[in-house]
Amino acid sequence: MSLLEEKELSDLLDGTLDLERVREIQRAPKDLDRRERLLAIEQKRLGWKDRIVLALQESLFIVQTDAGKTVRCRCGHHFGDYRRNWKESALVHERDPQDGELYASANAPTKDWMILREFYCPTCATLLDTENVPQGYPFIFNFLPYFQDEKP
Amino acid sequence: MNVMLDLSGKIPLKERLRARRAHIEATGTYIERCTLKETDPIGFEVFYTKLSQSINNARDLARQVAASPEMREMGESVLGLFTPEGDAICLSPGLMVHVRTMSRAIKWMIDNDYETDVGINPGDIFFNNDPYIGGGHAPDQQIIIPLFHDDRLIGWAGGMSHVSEVGAVEPGGMGISMKTRFHEGLYLPCMKVGEGDLFKRDYEILVDRSVRASVWWLLDSRAKLAGAKLIRDAVRGLVAEYGLDHYLRIGEEYIEDTRRATIDKMRRVLYPGRYRDVGWRGIDEPDLRQLLHAPIQTTISPEGRILVDADGLSSAGPHPVQATVPLFEGILFSSLIQHVFYDTRYNEGTALVLEHRVPEGSACNPPDIYHATALWGPAFAGGIACNQSISRAYYANGYREEVHSCNAQVNAIIAGGIDLFNRKFAGWNMEMCASGSYATAFMDGLDTALAEFNAEGDSGDAEIWETALPLIYLGRTIRVDGGGFGRFRGGAGLYSVYMTPDVPKLELGSFGGAPIFPAPGLMGGYPAPMPTVYVVRNTDLKERIEKRLPLPHHEGDPASPDVVTQAKGDVEVVRGGNYIARNIQPYSLYVQPGGDGSGFGDVLCREPEKVKRDLDNGVTSRHAAESVYGVVLSKDGVVDLAATEKRREEIRARRLARGIPADQYRKKVRQKFLSGDLPAVSKTLFRDTLSNHGRFRDEFLEFWELPSDFAIA
Repeated sequence: MSLLEEKELSDLLDGTLDLERVREIQRAPKDLDRRERLLAIEQKRLGWKDRIVLALQESLFIVQTDAGKTVRCRCGHHFGDYRRNWKESALVHERDPQDGELYASANAPTKDWMILREFYCPTCATLLDTENVPQGYPFIFNFLPYFQDEKP
Repeated sequence: MNVMLDLSGKIPLKERLRARRAHIEATGTYIERCTLKETDPIGFEVFYTKLSQSINNARDLARQVAASPEMREMGESVLGLFTPEGDAICLSPGLMVHVRTMSRAIKWMIDNDYETDVGINPGDIFFNNDPYIGGGHAPDQQIIIPLFHDDRLIGWAGGMSHVSEVGAVEPGGMGISMKTRFHEGLYLPCMKVGEGDLFKRDYEILVDRSVRASVWWLLDSRAKLAGAKLIRDAVRGLVAEYGLDHYLRIGEEYIEDTRRATIDKMRRVLYPGRYRDVGWRGIDEPDLRQLLHAPIQTTISPEGRILVDADGLSSAGPHPVQATVPLFEGILFSSLIQHVFYDTRYNEGTALVLEHRVPEGSACNPPDIYHATALWGPAFAGGIACNQSISRAYYANGYREEVHSCNAQVNAIIAGGIDLFNRKFAGWNMEMCASGSYATAFMDGLDTALAEFNAEGDSGDAEIWETALPLIYLGRTIRVDGGGFGRFRGGAGLYSVYMTPDVPKLELGSFGGAPIFPAPGLMGGYPAPMPTVYVVRNTDLKERIEKRLPLPHHEGDPASPDVVTQAKGDVEVVRGGNYIARNIQPYSLYVQPGGDGSGFGDVLCREPEKVKRDLDNGVTSRHAAESVYGVVLSKDGVVDLAATEKRREEIRARRLARGIPADQYRKKVRQKFLSGDLPAVSKTLFRDTLSNHGRFRDEFLEFWELPSDFAIA
């Protein structure tokens, strides 16, 4: 496999890279500098300067600030220390799956069985996560990354 | 003397197995050095290629001998070669769930003194389908033969396949009514069923008189035996060519080499950290309504080790939505091999890397062997959760080409009876091997593509299924809005419409799940829809056929499906898709969804043109296009970009208006705990969860700020 060009990485991020090329990338040994290269592309795209140290998930980054490593949305919204679940700083909507907005009634649970918990960025309203859980289930803390330079 | 390798051939297997376990426990390795690889790396690879080629050939041969559509067409099998102590050296493609289940069966025989009490001789044939020994449920059937060189046992060969009629209380071996092991059909725990390379006649009589239709069990047994014998022939050839000493040593090296490669791969590609995801299953029967959860914590160390901890898993109970530890482990292998170790060998070395903790007494580690395991339940959910976590670990490292949301819960018809030719039939339709696949971080999930447990993903021809189970297909199409919504949508599964035949006897039902979302979305994607079975009785189909009037073939509008609007009859809607098999009169309609993948990313980031394409192809409904994706189309079907952006802004504004800060939300829900204002299903789940002391319980109470002695009223 030839080395990935910056344009290809950028397209991969956007979901526009040709699928045959994606397949080649999947079959090839992994390029070990991928994380740094993708973060550099993401960094250029953002309208703020905090240095990204990790892409946590869609739209969310862990950035290095004077106050330590914090979670920040693509739009710039701060969610706080990465060791605390970012969902605790989000807007939450507990959706009744039978509300008719998304699923046909016969294809969705009733809220007695399960609700859909939606987490929004308080600034840009991006839907950051959904949790299909019964009422009363705690938030799921999906990812606490390991950093060599600090203890979680 | 090296007890484990035993070049003398005189040390009892039990002693060798004990020595092997002690070595692994003490060193964390299978062997300490791979001398043959170090001295001749090319020869090392050449030998392996010969080995794997032979085993793949064996699987192909077995498929030709087999009778069942699942083994012939769907690739529901795996064949393998094992060390004398039962460790897998090399396995064919196929059912990756069973990387270690045949190993467990061989070790069980060794531990239980088969060498002295039952006898292990050249030409012997052993059968196992006991999931507590090694397997998933009664349909997972193993044929294992010992390999000898002169009078020395030098290994084992085996084949595993899914046989979908086992004489259970419902046809097809899988059904929600199976509440104990004694409902699940015929179990033969590591039984010697043949000698001198021939099956015993009394074994075949036992099977023939214990199941509804024995042809699949018996012929698929022969298929696996044929494959295992081909492996035996290949091993004989390799021993003749390279010598016994080389053969025995190199097998051990393949295992150790795989262990090292597996750790190395994980260290290179998965970002270290602590990951948590949750999978769900449940039971919705009149006497038991219960959610089962699999809260999985996956820890990936910087050194490349992986620990899967299921603390908090729901307890075992009188239902079939649970699994054995071998199956829980197998599901994890299946996930990891397909998504991480697809370019390394897989064998016992893979298994040595994976550490897992499954609470005793839980629904994936039942307290005794009498608990039913037919429907696997939270083991599958645990695999889903681990998969989600692996995707997060890839994402963090930038390997977006490996990131995907959740695979489908598979759902299928089970049927038995006597067909129009007066033949006995029974089994299940495995067309859900072509379920909708997960969305990825770079493209939509594929429609009717695969099932996680069977990566070969083939629905089988409708005509073959009609001869195997005499239901008449009126249509087999792609489920509308089947894939979970998202920036990239999940793949949609099959939506099959059947007419029941006029045959002497028919039991018909389905296995599916509880009325819940079975496949969670990832990073903002929505879950796949709940599967729903429709049964329409007392229809006017016969009259319609006689008058050549249109019949329902497709789903139509999911909110008002064609089987309801285009035929008269009494409609029963089965939410979740579990339907105990029963007699259903001829000319009834029966709708079976296969399974759908979940979505990835925020729906409002989906390219409007992709929504339009799906709408044009009938995969997305107009309701979803407009209401979920916020896409506005002109009267002639062209995307109005300006209006779309305006509508999406409105949806964003609505999100901000209805979303409440998380701390307020927590206070509100906490009050429900204090007042007891929670649904019965939640209370049952939490009552069970909080009765087990551990990490999950502690964190649960801390999250809701509840006292340490809190109990659900």
